[in-house]
Amino acid sequence: MKALGWTAFALLLLYLVLPLLAPVVYSFSRMWLDVLPEGFTLEWYARVAQDPRYLEAALLSLRVALLAVAINILVGVPTAYVAHTWAGRTGQSLRRLVQVLPLLVPPLVLGLGFLLAFNRPPLALSGTLGIVVLGHAALGFPFFFRTVYAGLAGLEVGLLMEAARASGAGLWARLRHVLLPNLLPAVLSGSLVVFAISMGEFEVTSMVAGFGTITLPLLLFQSLREDFRAASAVASVLLYVTLLALLGLTWARRR
Amino acid sequence: MRGERFLLVPGLLFMALFFAYPLASILERSLATPGGLSLERYLRALAAPSYLEAWRNSLVFAGLSTLAAAAGGLFLAYWTAMLPLRPKRFLLSLYAIPASLSGLVVAFGFIVLLGRNGVVNQLLGAWGLPRFDLYSWVGLFVVFPLYNIPLFALALMPLMESVGRSLMEAARASGATPLRAWTGVLLPALMPGILAGSSIVFAGMMGAFGTALALTGFAKNLLSLQIYSLVAESTFDLPLASTLAVLLMASTGVGLYLLALWERRFRH
Repeated sequence: MKALGWTAFALLLLYLVLPLLAPVVYSFSRMWLDVLPEGFTLEWYARVAQDPRYLEAALLSLRVALLAVAINILVGVPTAYVAHTWAGRTGQSLRRLVQVLPLLVPPLVLGLGFLLAFNRPPLALSGTLGIVVLGHAALGFPFFFRTVYAGLAGLEVGLLMEAARASGAGLWARLRHVLLPNLLPAVLSGSLVVFAISMGEFEVTSMVAGFGTITLPLLLFQSLREDFRAASAVASVLLYVTLLALLGLTWARRR
Repeated sequence: MRGERFLLVPGLLFMALFFAYPLASILERSLATPGGLSLERYLRALAAPSYLEAWRNSLVFAGLSTLAAAAGGLFLAYWTAMLPLRPKRFLLSLYAIPASLSGLVVAFGFIVLLGRNGVVNQLLGAWGLPRFDLYSWVGLFVVFPLYNIPLFALALMPLMESVGRSLMEAARASGATPLRAWTGVLLPALMPGILAGSSIVFAGMMGAFGTALALTGFAKNLLSLQIYSLVAESTFDLPLASTLAVLLMASTGVGLYLLALWERRFRH
């Protein structure tokens, strides 16, 4: 009975891991026509690295992700702080609201909403880099908030801030020198989550992006049809980015 | 501190501008007609067989996906909780990968393994067995648990760690059969986590389309794909897309509300 359970557990883990390994194995093999791949090669990575389209898309994705992270730090940290210190009902409903946001507003709806809302003055953003950045920032916001809020839970941050104020520190100084250093691991974790989501985001991007804002996942979607070899390298690179972000997350949590 | 509450202003502004305003725009566009606001489009959408079918398909797809995720997630969380700290930590980081990974990477992985010329079909072909069709409903039910099972397990994990093991041991020690211990003791205790995981998976599946689009294109009639095709394809019709999006959100909202009502019975 017990052995059966462990076997099923191992099989389930295999199901979870194999589809993630497949693109990586594919990207390093010369041919995969039979059951097992043949020959080691870096050719597909070289092809992608030499194609300016992929390079441009990768740089654009990086820029979008960093900007989305910056917006989340500026907006998310104060929001999580107030939600933490505001006792009673109001604080709780705020937390509830941010928690259900991603459930009630899936990327599909967010993309459509952005398309409708920001395509007329005064906020005519459609097709610009701005709308992609803001879309990613909005998608990541609930996850950033959740991470920073959880980081606040272990700190007596209210007391610290009170003490700093009593000793004459202004608001900006308190935020900069008391709140932020104490929250650094949580802010870093939240930033990595937003970064990973943004780098791989396809759904909202494909709805709001214009011809000038082809991110790496949008290009990967094209390559899935046109050039499966190059697609394997791009898919693997996106996987490496996610893995690095999660490794950083584990590291930030330990500190 | 009271004096710091104004720090909420950027957050409220952000949510108003990037959640409330887009949602209001969707609602407005779904109701606006040349003759003023009307429910005309909703009536039209609900009378069209293909949209009704899409709606039903989405509800069934999300519902079945939730059940599959619950079964797989419970199993995964239970066995993960039994491991020593180090492998457990490693596996928990592993379960976090699919949620933040691009859906296209997952689609790629499954094409390599289960696609027309994929590894599995090579083997099946060599043994003279019928081939597996990744681009079918069954195919989608093989692909999506990769997201849903780890997501569900992660939602369940805190409760499983705090009460799961000790409860199981107590139940077994007092002579309960394994089945009795599961259904009579463990499942009721885990219910809040089960319902939280179900909410996440159900809502996610109602709106999911990226991976499905990469695999089956528009061949499968799901509400999410219908909306996307009205936004991104030549059938471009934003007012109708808005109407379907409101129906999608309303259905998700009702589902989440029912799960929340159910969850309330397990508090205290």
